[in-house]
Amino acid sequence: MLLAGPGALWLLAFFLVPILILLGYSFMPRGTYGGVEPGITLEHYRRFLDPLYLGILRRTAWLSLLCTLVCLLLAYPTAYVIARSGRWRNLLLFLAVLPFWTSSLVRTYAMIFLLRDSGLINRILMDLGLIVAPLRLLYTEGAVLAGLVYGALPFMILPIYASLEKLDPALLEAAEVLGARPWTRFVRIVWPLTLPGVAAGSLLVFVPSLGSFVVPDLLGGARQMMIGNLIQNQFGPSRNWPFGSAVAFAVMALVLIAMLAVLRVNRPPAGQGGAA
Amino acid sequence: MTPHARSRRDFLATAARAALAASVAAPVLSACAGERRPPAPGLEPELNIYNWFDYIGPETIAGFEQEFGVRVTYDTYESNEEMLGKLMAGATGYDLVVPTGYQLPLLRERALVRRLDRSKLTNWGNLMPLFQGTPADPGGEYGVPWQWGITGIAYRADLLPSAPESWAAFLDGSATGRATMLDDGREVLGAMLRYRGHSLNSTDPAELAGARQDAIAAKAHLLAFMTSAVKGQLVAGDVAMAQSWNGDTHQAQRENPNIAFVLPREGSLIFNDYMVLLSDAPHPNAAIAFLDYILRPDIGAAISEETGYGTPNRAAHERMRDPIPYPSPEELARLEYQLDLGAATALWDRTWTEVKASA
Amino acid sequence: MTARRVPYAVTVTAVLTYVLLHLPLLVLIAFSFNRSRFGVQWGGFTLDWYARLAARPDILRALRLSLVAGVASALLATTMGTLAALALARHLPRARRRAEALLYLPIVTPEIVAGVSLLVLFSWLGIGLGMATIVMAHTAFSIPFVTVVVLARLQGTDRALEEAAMSLGADELSTFRRVTLPLLMPGVLAGALLAFTLSFDDFVTTFFVAGVGSTTLPLAVYSMVRKSVEPTINALSALLVIVTTVAVYFADRLARGSTRA
Repeated sequence: MLLAGPGALWLLAFFLVPILILLGYSFMPRGTYGGVEPGITLEHYRRFLDPLYLGILRRTAWLSLLCTLVCLLLAYPTAYVIARSGRWRNLLLFLAVLPFWTSSLVRTYAMIFLLRDSGLINRILMDLGLIVAPLRLLYTEGAVLAGLVYGALPFMILPIYASLEKLDPALLEAAEVLGARPWTRFVRIVWPLTLPGVAAGSLLVFVPSLGSFVVPDLLGGARQMMIGNLIQNQFGPSRNWPFGSAVAFAVMALVLIAMLAVLRVNRPPAGQGGAA
Repeated sequence: MTPHARSRRDFLATAARAALAASVAAPVLSACAGERRPPAPGLEPELNIYNWFDYIGPETIAGFEQEFGVRVTYDTYESNEEMLGKLMAGATGYDLVVPTGYQLPLLRERALVRRLDRSKLTNWGNLMPLFQGTPADPGGEYGVPWQWGITGIAYRADLLPSAPESWAAFLDGSATGRATMLDDGREVLGAMLRYRGHSLNSTDPAELAGARQDAIAAKAHLLAFMTSAVKGQLVAGDVAMAQSWNGDTHQAQRENPNIAFVLPREGSLIFNDYMVLLSDAPHPNAAIAFLDYILRPDIGAAISEETGYGTPNRAAHERMRDPIPYPSPEELARLEYQLDLGAATALWDRTWTEVKASA
Repeated sequence: MTARRVPYAVTVTAVLTYVLLHLPLLVLIAFSFNRSRFGVQWGGFTLDWYARLAARPDILRALRLSLVAGVASALLATTMGTLAALALARHLPRARRRAEALLYLPIVTPEIVAGVSLLVLFSWLGIGLGMATIVMAHTAFSIPFVTVVVLARLQGTDRALEEAAMSLGADELSTFRRVTLPLLMPGVLAGALLAFTLSFDDFVTTFFVAGVGSTTLPLAVYSMVRKSVEPTINALSALLVIVTTVAVYFADRLARGSTRA
């Protein structure tokens, strides 16, 4: 018990307590030039209900959802191949995890390097004679989505791989013996059994995408705002910390909803057990 | 082999690797802690400066460090609001920052800046009389004028069919997809207010609503909102027209002579930036020494030669090869200083967010 | 799983995913050796950009700060994370599920929320922002990762060894020192390396809790990237990627070794 003390205290002091202070700030009146004044108010949450800010939140949620979907489409087959790769498995797994540890900033810069007008993709397309003038790739919605997907992909691969690995091959063999076609086997057996991995992966992709602010700035050319930019602005140039805190908690509410959804998926429904 | 012995070997191998890594890293670690002469009498050994990006001479800092034995930490920002936001977070540790004039009254009111002891600024008399007392700092008590400049339109003469003359160039599609504006609400909305003949300090909701409409219309033609990145993109030709400051444009011109600068017909803003000493500055004596140092003619001239902005320093102006002339009376009539927006800050902030969030 | 044939489309998608994951960084690294300054034409091999980096005092300083923050927070997080893992595995099996949920909470909190909340905390307490606040913050987000990694290692070890030592008369402390710790060492080192990597590469949290004179490498990269695209940024990025790859490779080997033990 004592052993867990220092770590628990540290997390308490530098994770839980700050979040609670942030919550407190979100109910306090704003000082004229920044900071807060004593008192209690709901004005920041009321202000957030403005269609302007709700619109930014909706757009952010939509982009994050789209990002989750694209990640799923790419990650599921990848995880499947890793699970089947035999002696290459460790290497493939390592290569799938590696980008997770690489700086998000460096990866965003790599995207700029590829996508800009005089970047590699345009260069190659022009050298091949496929286009005459450079395509507008950077500073678009597509660039933002690509950046989000690139940053989040490993989060989706790992949980799906973990659940695929646990899959009992005997189940599939039984299904095959009983004459189930590959697609049926996938839909009826593999997909339902890997759903917890898909749910966990979706959560791990959706949540960081919700909070991103560097990608829309650098890849979107600051033309569009995600909710992360709104938060960053309030804690920076706009100097409205209490409103920024309220927006942060609106994001946390979305995170909570996503977590509850995942918990629902991961709780096996009654009656479905190991007896196949 | 027992588990114990094996893990000891593993541990030794790891320790050896760590030692190797440390020996590689050591020169790097000590590189910054090299021999340094002691600071000049009465000065603290360090100084922390927070300034706009690309807003200083190449040798300004190094020269000061060498002469005074003070180690300078130099960080940069891209907008007044970014800097102020950082200051408001409290205990920054900075000694000197460079706000634009309109922020001085606010900083003074909030007791964030110190009154300067002019008797220690022996080079103060080098300033043009115009800059020894300005509307933002009437007695010249709180800030040392740093540089002045104007916002206008930078463009590639070789990439545009004709030179832009008006802020309308951002609205009429003459450079769709190849134009940028500054990533700064005061600049973008200010330009659109001038475009409609209003003050760029307007707090009138109807005028701001009009500026928002225009800014949203302009955004449809913009490649991006960008501030410090625009120079490189103008030089490379990815951007053909940009809302830009005269000094930054000047810096870009050095790399590509096809870049030109125009002050739009409807007028724009002129800014004086001041270097101020913060109230909680940990190294006030070194800071004063630095302020006096930049008032020297040769140092002031070197700063303006590099930045391409106007110098407030008469003695520096006289020794520059090609100084930026102060605006003519005709130009001055079209130029306006920014003011603190006070309570209207929230409305401006919201309006800018609306522009950013528009589809 | 058995070696049933993998559908063609699935393989193609997987290959595409790996290309997407790694090609951008490989291109970046390749062009850090490119002589030509502008654009993406190949102008010949050069180490010039690295030499330029090494000649920049601000970059060397940023590198030093990143190393200091990485080592300090890794030491703190590894110590506390390992102890927490021991407590969870050995002494509190029942509380473990709840504690694990608590561990995952920081992992699923958007980093920007954690970052601004730390900014508010430090401002509220009047603590000046700088290296100290960076280390505190990095330690906090690294602890859960270390605990999870060490916990995984603990599950692979044999409790009987400790019990044997105890029954042979070793006291708790020397059992820990002579038996438990050596068994745990690969997991602990893996956790430390990962904590170092997390700190070394972190941008978002650092962005909010950095102050004067604490511009770490990712912060330096950020201000460079905002300004321009140029080969020195490629070189700097390549360095970050290589340090990360080496650290993660060793962490991976250490952690993997644990399952074979």
